[in-house]
Amino acid sequence: MKKLLVANRGEIALRIFKAARELGIKTVAVYSDADNGAPHMRAADEAIHIGKSPPPLSYLHIAGIMKAVAESGADAVHPGYGFLSENAAFAGAVEDAGTIWVGPSPGVIRDIESKSFCRNLGNRLGVPVTPGSIGNVTSLIEIEKLFAEHGPPLLLKLDKGGGGKGIQPIHHAAEIARIFESSMGIGKAAFGSSDVYVEKRIETPKHIEIQCLGDHYGNYVALGERECSVQRRFQKVVEEAPSPAVTREERERLCAWSVRILKEMGYRNAGTVEFIRSAEGRYYFMEVNARIQVEHPVTEMVTGIDLVQQQLRIAMGEPLQLRQEDIVIHGHAIEARIYAEDPSTFLPSPGTIGTITFPTLSKDTRLDHAMESGLAVSPFYDPMLAKLIARGEDRRQAIDRLDQALKQFTIEGIKTTIPLGTAVMASEAFRRGIFHTEMLAELLATRSS
Amino acid sequence: MEQNIMAPMPGLVARVVVAVGDKVEQGQEVAVINCMKTEIPVTADRSGTVRSILVKEWDELQVGDAMVAIDAA
Repeated sequence: MKKLLVANRGEIALRIFKAARELGIKTVAVYSDADNGAPHMRAADEAIHIGKSPPPLSYLHIAGIMKAVAESGADAVHPGYGFLSENAAFAGAVEDAGTIWVGPSPGVIRDIESKSFCRNLGNRLGVPVTPGSIGNVTSLIEIEKLFAEHGPPLLLKLDKGGGGKGIQPIHHAAEIARIFESSMGIGKAAFGSSDVYVEKRIETPKHIEIQCLGDHYGNYVALGERECSVQRRFQKVVEEAPSPAVTREERERLCAWSVRILKEMGYRNAGTVEFIRSAEGRYYFMEVNARIQVEHPVTEMVTGIDLVQQQLRIAMGEPLQLRQEDIVIHGHAIEARIYAEDPSTFLPSPGTIGTITFPTLSKDTRLDHAMESGLAVSPFYDPMLAKLIARGEDRRQAIDRLDQALKQFTIEGIKTTIPLGTAVMASEAFRRGIFHTEMLAELLATRSS
Repeated sequence: MEQNIMAPMPGLVARVVVAVGDKVEQGQEVAVINCMKTEIPVTADRSGTVRSILVKEWDELQVGDAMVAIDAA
């Protein structure tokens, strides 16, 4: 790998350029009209304009990006997260052009788009999945039978959905027909697939995910879990590693399950196996995320392993140098995502960034961002501005360090969720480690009442 | 009297959900703006009949840009 094109923008583009530079690889940025002059464009060795500001005309435009690949002579493409990162057609186009795709193969990406594929795989491998349908449901009778068997509330979900879209609860047998019809319609319109499946809703769950790496020769390591239960509207706000809820035995079991799943899929490169944990402490395999994730820094902070460098090495065909026994978790790391949003209503807050006061960073704190004073935060893209991460010898110390850094951090000109981060750090439920995916809604409800 | 329904927030036109000739009630959703991946409904500020659609999908919007023209009832 000599020249890497990053088909993304913002902080993740900067993060990937850094890893590439450290490995002596040249870098290519792509940018839209709105990003002309943006930090990610200036941070690369060269930058190529790919189109207008709306994502479908630039960062989601496969032909335009492939033109930039050809023009730059890049021999590899890293998709980052979001945009085309889990798009099998894009991965296929990159590989067909004889270019290295930094990620799993297009076939694997296509397989795991289907939640039912994942559920079937879990069943086959003895990894628990939530009670519900085996594969997709195609008739009303099937759903009625599952309703009678598992009872309410059931969830009707889109096989190829994402971001919580189209998930509908079923509380009464009488509403099954209506919900079945409407879910199929939403799926068809939003994702081009009317396939749906049914699962039992797990109340007040925790979101636990296992970071894994796999090379091209069937070697895998699992780098422990991240807990991402502090969410609002299916968007993560605070993540940490390790989880205060996961015991050593559970961690070993989850890691073994994750490797078994990825091995069976023929998965390669970095991937995350996602589980939910019920209030009773049962774990259920949900899906595989075929990308580097936003929250990857917490794993890097506690393992000392640079996940993006590992991605590039794996993509170059290097065998994994890490063995499972090399993976040791040191202390605790927590990340707060900072969005350009009103911290109480979560309404987007586009505008121009004014004066920024950055927190003092040490070896135990990290700030990933692509902000600068005078930069326009455009309405076209994701509202995430920055990720602030702190590590401590234990969870308490990590919380205190993150809290301190958040309190030093100010961004003028737009509204941000920095105050939400400090509110989470101050909350009793979070400090005690007893929280679930509904925590943020409960915290906001008590603050406003 | 012709009135324009305007963008309450900058962003992209995600979709327009009314057509020329439709009768709309005050408060009814006529379009959706996508701002930083959040969908924000645009509602009619008065009742009337849709005279023309002034935007199309993925158009860029500033606050106050006219989106849908209606003949007020």
